[in-house]
Amino acid sequence: MSFDDLAARALDTAAKRGAEYADVRFEVVRSERIETRNGVVATLSDATSRGYGMRALVGGAWGFAAASDLTPAGIDRAAARAVEIAKAGATIARHPFGAAPPHAYVDSFATPIVRDPVEVPLGERVALLLDAEKALHVSPKISVGRAWIDLWRTDKTFYSTLGSRIEQSIRQTGSGLEALAVGEGEVQTRTFPGDIGLYKSGGWEIIEEARLLQNAQRIGEEAQSLLTAEQCPSGTRDIILGGSQVSLQIHESCGHPAELDRVMGWEANFSGVSFLEVAQLGKLRYGSDIVSICIDNTLPQGMATVGYDDEGTKSMSSDIIRDGMLVGYEMSNDTARSIGRESNACVRAQSWEFVPMIRMCNLNLLPGDVPFEGLFDGVKDGIYMESNRSWSIDDHRLNFQFGCEIAWEIKNGKRGKLLKNPTYAGMTPQFWNSCDAIADKNSWVAWGTPNCGKGEPMQTGRTAQCAAPARFRNVQVGVGYGG
Amino acid sequence: MDSAQREALAERVLALSNADQTEVTIGTEDADLTRFTHEEIHQNVARSDAGVSVRAILGLRTGTAATNVLDEDSLRATVGRAIAIAQLAPEDPDLAPLPSGGPTVTPKGAYVKATADASPQLRAGMADAIFKVAESHKFWCAGFARTQSAGFTIANSNGARASFDGTDSGINVKMNATDSTGYGQAYSPDATTLDAHKVAGVAASKAKNSAQPQGVEPGEWTVIMEPAAFGEFFAYLGQHFSAQAYDEGSSFLSDGLDKPYFSENVTITDDYSNPLAPSMPFDFEGQPKQPVTLVESGVAKTFVTDSYWAKKLNRENTGHALPAPNAYGPQAIDLIVAPGRKSFDELIAETKRGLLISRFWYIRTVDQKKAIVTGMTRDGTFLIENGKVTGGVRNMRFNQSIIAALGKCEFSNAPQRTGDYWFSLVVPAAKIEGFKFSSGTQF
Repeated sequence: MSFDDLAARALDTAAKRGAEYADVRFEVVRSERIETRNGVVATLSDATSRGYGMRALVGGAWGFAAASDLTPAGIDRAAARAVEIAKAGATIARHPFGAAPPHAYVDSFATPIVRDPVEVPLGERVALLLDAEKALHVSPKISVGRAWIDLWRTDKTFYSTLGSRIEQSIRQTGSGLEALAVGEGEVQTRTFPGDIGLYKSGGWEIIEEARLLQNAQRIGEEAQSLLTAEQCPSGTRDIILGGSQVSLQIHESCGHPAELDRVMGWEANFSGVSFLEVAQLGKLRYGSDIVSICIDNTLPQGMATVGYDDEGTKSMSSDIIRDGMLVGYEMSNDTARSIGRESNACVRAQSWEFVPMIRMCNLNLLPGDVPFEGLFDGVKDGIYMESNRSWSIDDHRLNFQFGCEIAWEIKNGKRGKLLKNPTYAGMTPQFWNSCDAIADKNSWVAWGTPNCGKGEPMQTGRTAQCAAPARFRNVQVGVGYGG
Repeated sequence: MDSAQREALAERVLALSNADQTEVTIGTEDADLTRFTHEEIHQNVARSDAGVSVRAILGLRTGTAATNVLDEDSLRATVGRAIAIAQLAPEDPDLAPLPSGGPTVTPKGAYVKATADASPQLRAGMADAIFKVAESHKFWCAGFARTQSAGFTIANSNGARASFDGTDSGINVKMNATDSTGYGQAYSPDATTLDAHKVAGVAASKAKNSAQPQGVEPGEWTVIMEPAAFGEFFAYLGQHFSAQAYDEGSSFLSDGLDKPYFSENVTITDDYSNPLAPSMPFDFEGQPKQPVTLVESGVAKTFVTDSYWAKKLNRENTGHALPAPNAYGPQAIDLIVAPGRKSFDELIAETKRGLLISRFWYIRTVDQKKAIVTGMTRDGTFLIENGKVTGGVRNMRFNQSIIAALGKCEFSNAPQRTGDYWFSLVVPAAKIEGFKFSSGTQF
């Protein structure tokens, strides 16, 4: 049977068993990973996963069942299970919780790609990684060199009892390098690009954009140099963060706290709540006037770019922080309804096995008007940090501490000596209010995050945070090495 | 799919391969979870899946492929893909032969039929019991109740044959009062032993007793970590006991074995058969797992291996392989910290001034080799004065070396299984002197 036929059977079975609304999402996911490590191929894998996840709404309670059994009997079992689970929830419901989405669409979407990565011979892909990884080994102090490529191809079709039929073909690609240098009593790591590699939606052109071969030797040399670099000082300094670190900063201190499910306590027992409470909407000064952050699921090459989210809502752009003020959230149908708004299409599931939930999408810190080099002007005594190594933030998303792989002293506007083990810490609103310059669009990059964890059962989301380097005044640095 | 069906399927797939060596693994999972907040279920899910993974070895070349599409054509194609990938892979001179396996005994209590058969009504009943505790205190609660079963079978062309079926269940509750929160948890292979009312009561008691928290100065404190907190802190040392980390220089063990890194009351083992967390008696290559004493009376004794690292370092294979392929090397995934002699109450009573910590959040490594980690306290942090818990304190951030912490610690006499991790962890409560806090937060 085709997915269309199986979907019709699933939705019909759910309705007959009492579902007031139901939707089902069929997915075929192909994941390929190549990882070279110290001259050998540590991972060369190709996995296919096919299945479907079905939501049923009964008496305002949701049930979700996912299965890989595509036989008619399997479809019937999963549909019945989703309804049974919803009914079990309804028996203890204090009041109706969920409602059907307001819109239905018949449409399709495909990630634009220049070159399909699977057309690149496997041997060529392996050779690229072996060559790049070899170049990391600039001395025997490089104990571990790694290089990797990830390819994900997701084909999915969403159907609902409202009449939606949305077919999507999503392609995501990433690659990176890492060098681990070992010295007397310490190790130092350098990663490229950014802190996890370059991940975007698209094809082989994303691998070419990463320029692994051209940068590998420099990365190896930097890892080795860090072993003998000075320790990052402690105190208060002006800091400039590289683009990938700004990307992580907005991920942790804006992207997660602006998830409306988190604001409403849905994640309270695990990943926490949020200081961006609904009562603060339109009133809270989150950052300085130059800080504007929006979501845009239509952004070309954004890691999270799709045509529709997994509740069947059409992708769009909407503001979260405008001129420093809190003006919006990342929302689902149920959460948006509770504050009198409509979903802005931020609901996705890791794969067919998982229930759709609010996930960060492409979260963009709008670029400023200063060239990157201009950020250093006016910094008398500061530190420039790049590439995240450590990240931690409290369960309201206020108190944070981040560490980077590498830093340079800034004296009188000039980049100076190398510093190791840089860390900085602060409270989110104070930190973003200290932002007084953001680099321009020439250094603005859609940094993809392929491994964002949230939810129970834990789901791994693929997000993007588009960012340019930025400058922050009077920040606490050098914490973390007291233990 | 039961173990006999998995074993038959594994033999069928194995017969499709003409590689020099072939490994076939079959994994099945049925996992259900009911998640709630503000006394409403907001997520109520079930998933069912079965998958096959094939590792093909041609000489010194390896390829793997996996699928959950189990018809004959797909299985044949998956074997073909694994072989095709192996043909293109470079040779690895350190590659070891696949293990030939050996007899294993599944520990008692690893599989409980009542858990495997648990209904959504059972989980709804647990949630309702928790809601009623929250309502009786005028708190709101968030958390989950979950039940799951999983099966794993491995067969390889060198004769290894092994199967395991296990179940698990858990309850996790956070109670939220006006200006304080509290946490409770319970995990067991037997869902019928979970007492939702009791777990909710523990969480509510913490929320109640930590109301109107006061701020305290960061700096060095004597802390008593409940098992949930100590487990979360200690877990970041686990990866140091891998042969790969040892050899590559990123483990503290790389500075040498048979050295006293910790205080004499620290003994750490890896044992799949602990009754609090019974698990699979063989690893993901089919090698029987050995109980391993990693640290004895403060002295680091050894690390764990798999077939690759046993050959490379010329050591015995301890049976700690993760599923192939992986870049992490062998891992100790059944960690146990030996208990001490004093009760939890004695540890509190002997503390003149300190902090009692229920749980941590967002621990991350700051310095890999020194095992410095940072993180936040959450959901029940209390001041101890003159041997008594006197009230709640606002949460704080720490930056602390785990190695240094285990150099000045003592443990309670009651270990618990803790945490909802992919690995298992059995630890007691821990009292640690000079624990370093660097800042506070607003709640």
